[in-house]
Amino acid sequence: MHRYEIAVLKCLEPGKPLSLEQLVEKSGTGRDGVLWAIEGLSKSGAITMARKESESVSLTEEGKLYASSQLPETALIQKLSKKSIEIRTLGDPQSRIGLQWAKTKELIAIEKGIIILTAKGKEAISKGIGEEYVLKKLGENPSLFTMMLKEKKQEVENLLKRKLIVTERRNEITSITINPKGKELLTAETKHEGEIDALDKKAIATRSWKGKKFKAYDINVPVESEIPAKLHPLRRAINSVKDTYTNMGFKEISGPVVIPAFWNFDTLFTPQDHPAREVQDTFYLSNPSQIEILDRKVMGKVKEEHEQAWKSDWLEQVAMQAVLRTQTTTVSIQELYNLSKYKEYKLPLKLFSVGRVFRNENIDYKHLPDFYQTDGIIVGENLTLANLFDTLTKIYKSLGLKVKFKPAYFPFVEPGAEMYAYHEERKEWLEVAGCGMLRREITGIAKKNITVLAWGASVERLLLITDKDIERLPDLYNNGVGWIRSRKTL
Amino acid sequence: MVNVTFNKNYLFRLLGLRLDEKKLAMHIEKMGFEVETSTKEEVGIALPANRPDVVDIVGFARALKNFMHKSKKLKYVIKGNAPALEISVGGEIEGLRPFISGMVVKGMKFDEQSLKHLLAFTEKFASNYGRNRKRLAIGLHDLDQIAGNLTYDAVKDEEFLALGISRKMKLSEILKRNEKGMAYAGTIGDSKLYPVLKDANGTISFVPILNSERTKVTGSTKNLLIEITGTSRYIVEKSADLFAAMFLDLGASVEKVKVSYKGSSVILPKMSSANIEIPLIKIEGQIGVIIGFNNVISLANKMGYEAALVGRNIRFRIPEYRLDILNEQDVIEDIAIAYGYDFIQAVSIYSEQMGEIEDATRRSRELSEVMVGLGFSEMLNSYLTSERQDFDSMRLKDHDSKYVRVKDAKMQKLTMLRTSLLPSLLGNIGMSVHEKMPQRIFELDFVFGISGQVNENQMLAGVITDPKSNFNQIKAVVEAVLQSMRIEYQIKENSHRSFIEGRCASVILKGKNIGVFGEVHPEVLSNFGIEEPTIAFEISL
Repeated sequence: MHRYEIAVLKCLEPGKPLSLEQLVEKSGTGRDGVLWAIEGLSKSGAITMARKESESVSLTEEGKLYASSQLPETALIQKLSKKSIEIRTLGDPQSRIGLQWAKTKELIAIEKGIIILTAKGKEAISKGIGEEYVLKKLGENPSLFTMMLKEKKQEVENLLKRKLIVTERRNEITSITINPKGKELLTAETKHEGEIDALDKKAIATRSWKGKKFKAYDINVPVESEIPAKLHPLRRAINSVKDTYTNMGFKEISGPVVIPAFWNFDTLFTPQDHPAREVQDTFYLSNPSQIEILDRKVMGKVKEEHEQAWKSDWLEQVAMQAVLRTQTTTVSIQELYNLSKYKEYKLPLKLFSVGRVFRNENIDYKHLPDFYQTDGIIVGENLTLANLFDTLTKIYKSLGLKVKFKPAYFPFVEPGAEMYAYHEERKEWLEVAGCGMLRREITGIAKKNITVLAWGASVERLLLITDKDIERLPDLYNNGVGWIRSRKTL
Repeated sequence: MVNVTFNKNYLFRLLGLRLDEKKLAMHIEKMGFEVETSTKEEVGIALPANRPDVVDIVGFARALKNFMHKSKKLKYVIKGNAPALEISVGGEIEGLRPFISGMVVKGMKFDEQSLKHLLAFTEKFASNYGRNRKRLAIGLHDLDQIAGNLTYDAVKDEEFLALGISRKMKLSEILKRNEKGMAYAGTIGDSKLYPVLKDANGTISFVPILNSERTKVTGSTKNLLIEITGTSRYIVEKSADLFAAMFLDLGASVEKVKVSYKGSSVILPKMSSANIEIPLIKIEGQIGVIIGFNNVISLANKMGYEAALVGRNIRFRIPEYRLDILNEQDVIEDIAIAYGYDFIQAVSIYSEQMGEIEDATRRSRELSEVMVGLGFSEMLNSYLTSERQDFDSMRLKDHDSKYVRVKDAKMQKLTMLRTSLLPSLLGNIGMSVHEKMPQRIFELDFVFGISGQVNENQMLAGVITDPKSNFNQIKAVVEAVLQSMRIEYQIKENSHRSFIEGRCASVILKGKNIGVFGEVHPEVLSNFGIEEPTIAFEISL
């Protein structure tokens, strides 16, 4: 029960009704509090309220004006007591109203355009007008209405007709009586009297809680829900990929998204007429449409390798076309061609990156125009395919996945392989990464006699395998607040 | 990947034995290829793009036979060097499609399957390896309908009775009207001359579009002329070797042709095969397993190489039909595949290197923690967007060209890289109107702009939608973020069309504007379908 309700019930004794005013005074909860409490209590049958219909009165604006001075007809007859008045001199509205009423009440008469007092009028000057008396009394005390209605009915009705007063019907509470049910409720409630409800600072400081009981709450009451803020599931996957790499001694690298085709394709030994370079797969840009290839030395060597291997001319114009990177392997290659940066590192040098890549695709349940890829390289001497398989097996084991390798072709690696991970739910092997040993045509430009293990994998695909909550790739982007709120965090 | 579908009966006939479904699949997988579909009649296989020799069912059967050690067919020779025919290359073709090779095939016995597969393969070869006939294309002709020697040149527009067309057409008309003509018009470009192959009686091919009706190959054709044209002499001539090997496997006899260029001539197919010598230690060293001389030779045979021990090296003879072997790495891969990836035991790498994440990653993680602590959930949105979302919806009208634009996107609404995180976040809120308030979301990622060169900037943005939200609330959030970054900042009045005038501020760091925050303009809210007051900030990191 609410404390207002308890306060009201405590004021009441069986068989001793109280008026609303008395209850307001006794309970100390204020008129609104009492009204709210008794409304609920009477519905539940704890109390009974007696009501009475009554009529109350109030003065209109015009009524208030006359109550504070006099009625217009009074003003007129008072003037007439001094001298007669020609009717055409009464121009103002008030005098016109006075003339109307004085005539109706036969206080005046009009003879040849001259207004004169009647006997009734003379009497009214000395005795006063009844309506004016009633109006002034009601203005002072509206509760006199009932009495006035009884004793001065004609005047009250005239005032209502003249719209100097208005009445309002009311359903008033006259008394409130407690029922046995109310008494029971109060007893049940006050059983916990003396127990501590809300604990407060003072109670803690003064230890006033000592020796008292804490009131037990109903733990089944429904509560307002709390919604935890959280990281995006894909971000969590990215974080865990990064943690795995760093745990295994890899250093993080990153690179730009907008690059010349040179760094996306040519340095990765992809021929200039290769189908992967076509607009159907790659986003080319109209602004900027070209990006200058700054590393002229590397460019010269790339041109040489391409022309020798692919037996056709290599064109700088083609390599300068601006693209959105289609693979993070470009980040690895840019770093590989900048090896002097790692003078203080010993071989094997282990690097990784995670970043957004772009494919000119239509969106469906497993394709997106942009998604995250992770790429790794190990630069060393005499590294082997067995080393590559070992590294990848360990990385994916720590992400909770069993893997296997199958031969595959990518222009920039030889031997090349595709890595498959086992999907426990679907009981099938899913392709998760491409890997291999970088071609000599690529590594030779960076440094003689190095071998480079390289791989690239989609982060979303990994998430699709490891997170049962995620079923469709497009859900991961452009999502609403509801989606993120409903993700599980554990 | 190249996907092929082979008729099983024909494959087994070429193979000389039948295999049950399981065995066939096992061998295909072991060869490093992938079985995609399998029915009673057909098997669908995904093949690597660098192996046109196995895209041909005849070559595939040869590879499988070698791999199963059923027979060793490691060498292809054309008997006799005398050319059966001469092709003279004219002077006008040079800038257009300068190279041609070919061969004469005699005693072919076609049946339904073999003709079907031959036509399918030449088509596939020209579209994949030939890059839609631009780099290379193949024509097959009935040799018995050809009169005298051939001339390959570019000529002025002329009339031509092409295969499958009932009337003579101008070459220019074929390019404009005919289905094949329109499809491959790009190979000719805007040249005023057209590449044609002629015999004594006229044009037998409008290269690389259509052959003549006169020299059409049918099921009863016994003798063929194969012509291969293209833009790279090496590729055109090497491909002839591949086709010659195929016809030899089909039991036909192959004869050479002489191609005469201005001042030089060549007899083709060359049937060239290079040798590569690789030290055993290098093979084992790349794969990371101990294999041994004898095993390497046996594995090489399985993959179609003739191999022999030369001192401490192994000499590999690259088969005539292999177009993909550039250096020893390619040979080593074949040995690794034959050895079996599944049998390569993992070996760990010794390294002392410590793991490191980039400073930017560390900072992003810490800031994300602060944002989640402030009750914001993280969003990830596409970097690709449109002018409509990035500018128009934000009431920003002045889109000059200082942003990155993409061309020819398949998703037509994707035309540019976003310049701000706020439109994406407001989009997220807009699709969440029925979610409980307040809604607090953030994104920490890249936006793109151009000032001289492309700038890729990491930004942090947050949005709160709440009936009770106001300017002070977002100011409190921004200050909490900036203080956690230990930045000495100033806050200044700002005017920004996406925000309500007089309720917008900028963040100043060392005199530079690094961010904006305030109450989002109601028109912007309506543009994103947001129904409640919304406050937002975006700062550069």
